[in-house]
Amino acid sequence: MSIRVLLAEDEPHIVESLTFLLERAGYHVDVETDGRSALQSALDNVPHVLVLDVMLPELDGYEVLRRIRADDRTKSLPTLMLTAKGQREDRETAMDIGADMFITKPFANAEIVDAINQLASEQKS
Amino acid sequence: MLSAIIGTRIRQRRRELGLTQAELARRVEISAPYLNLIEWNKRRIAGGLLKRVADALGLTMADLDDISERHLLETLHEISLAPVFKDLGTERDRISELIGRFPGWAKMLASVSKSERDANARVASLSDRLSNDPFLNETVHRMLTRIASIRSASEILRDFPDLSDVRRDRFNAIIHEETIALSEIGEALAVYLDRSEDTDQAVTPIDEVEALFNARQNRFEEIEDATKALSELLTESQPLSRRANAEALCEDRLGTFIEDFVNEQSEIETAAARKRAVRMLRDYAIGAVILPMEEFEDAAKRMFFDIESLAEKFSAEVEIVCHRLTALAPSPETPKFGYMCSNAAGSIIEILGIDGLNVPRYAAACPLWVLYRAQQSPETVIRQRTVFPSGARFVFVARARHIGPIGFGKPRHYVTDMIAISEEDAPLTVYAPDRDVLIEEVGPSCRTCPRFTCAHRVEDPLIE
Repeated sequence: MSIRVLLAEDEPHIVESLTFLLERAGYHVDVETDGRSALQSALDNVPHVLVLDVMLPELDGYEVLRRIRADDRTKSLPTLMLTAKGQREDRETAMDIGADMFITKPFANAEIVDAINQLASEQKS
Repeated sequence: MLSAIIGTRIRQRRRELGLTQAELARRVEISAPYLNLIEWNKRRIAGGLLKRVADALGLTMADLDDISERHLLETLHEISLAPVFKDLGTERDRISELIGRFPGWAKMLASVSKSERDANARVASLSDRLSNDPFLNETVHRMLTRIASIRSASEILRDFPDLSDVRRDRFNAIIHEETIALSEIGEALAVYLDRSEDTDQAVTPIDEVEALFNARQNRFEEIEDATKALSELLTESQPLSRRANAEALCEDRLGTFIEDFVNEQSEIETAAARKRAVRMLRDYAIGAVILPMEEFEDAAKRMFFDIESLAEKFSAEVEIVCHRLTALAPSPETPKFGYMCSNAAGSIIEILGIDGLNVPRYAAACPLWVLYRAQQSPETVIRQRTVFPSGARFVFVARARHIGPIGFGKPRHYVTDMIAISEEDAPLTVYAPDRDVLIEEVGPSCRTCPRFTCAHRVEDPLIE
């Protein structure tokens, strides 16, 4: 059974590229384009890894992560956060509320795939 | 400290007159050593003795004990304590001597220091504006997102030579689309930065669109003409149905017309402003369909421009009535109306200007405007009679309206519509204030307001 990645991202072109990359890397990718749907999807069918953009409509990425960490089903779900701001306070906020990794846009594809590989392998172990 | 200048001044004046310490001491009936202590600022001098010394030196007491010099002394003392000067070995104990002997240089030093402090404050304020400017923040975010898409797609093209033709074409298309979007953002940013140096010109998409509306006095005859035939097609009586139908008609019949019209307007230079102008002119057209100008103008005069009565008569929302009021041609019976809309955070999200009323772009407007008070009593019209620091008087009429979905447990969000009428024009309207109605002193925004003692001030003015 392939490892499932939930990609919560509202930029369609980034979704297309990341989906392609992750599928090539052997992952199964589910996509949600707003925070509320991403939260629901993560709780209903817990993925192996969550890739969560900060700037999402409906609920922002921080709020999604707060609620994910508050739920027993997903409190330890490995999560990579993405943001286009990259300021120190964004990173600190993400880490404070429980992100496992944090990458700023624009990113290198290899950086994202490596991070997801690492989160997936930690989960397996 | 306060007598420090006096001693130096006495010594300087005594020497000018060619008197010895002993002679002056004799004339004022004190000992020479005591006078010596006074002259070297080791003893205070005041009252009767100060008067005798002043008389003996042919001066007034004020010549010796000048309040402005005291202030200068305190200022220079404060400057000498600044951390940046602490290693210069400033002779802090000889400031009074500097003022006494070289008053011009002392004043120049204080003046230069004040300029430097003001310049630093201005830099800090502008830097704060730059880092908190919503347009710049949003633009940087959008640029980084576009760049992320381009970088990711181009790396895929480079790293996966086995891509199918369909995939390859798709990622090429993504790069193409994103570079166009990035160009538009860059163009808007370049215009913004270019124009930041000239505050009289439009600097954001909002400003560009406002410049277009200002140039047309908020009235677009081309759109009025184009919508005349569409008004007859509106048969619904319920406001929301009328609006939905008007929107569909405008989208269907006028979509291209409005886009072409915007493309021809010299005030609109950037893609972002084009989008905003199209949206606002589409709203203008919807208003024109629901409230055809001739009929609206006639009713507005008869109802003395009462926004709620007009909304009821035309089965329209108050917001649309406010917009239409700004499009009325001023006449002896018709005032010129301005309009603005703010959200709950206090940001002004739409402006249709009126002469003499400067609405701030980079800071919240004056918190005393009824624009910000109306959300305390939603769906209720509130009037405010105002006077600005310039002496300009306006009557503001504000009403908060609910936006977004409603239902139990859902948060209620409001925006406030506000019309502005000069007090001179107000008697033409139902909002004419009686003579005894309180005139509230308001300002434009704290950054540009000279009411220094205002209890509601939250930041210092940028320019004194």
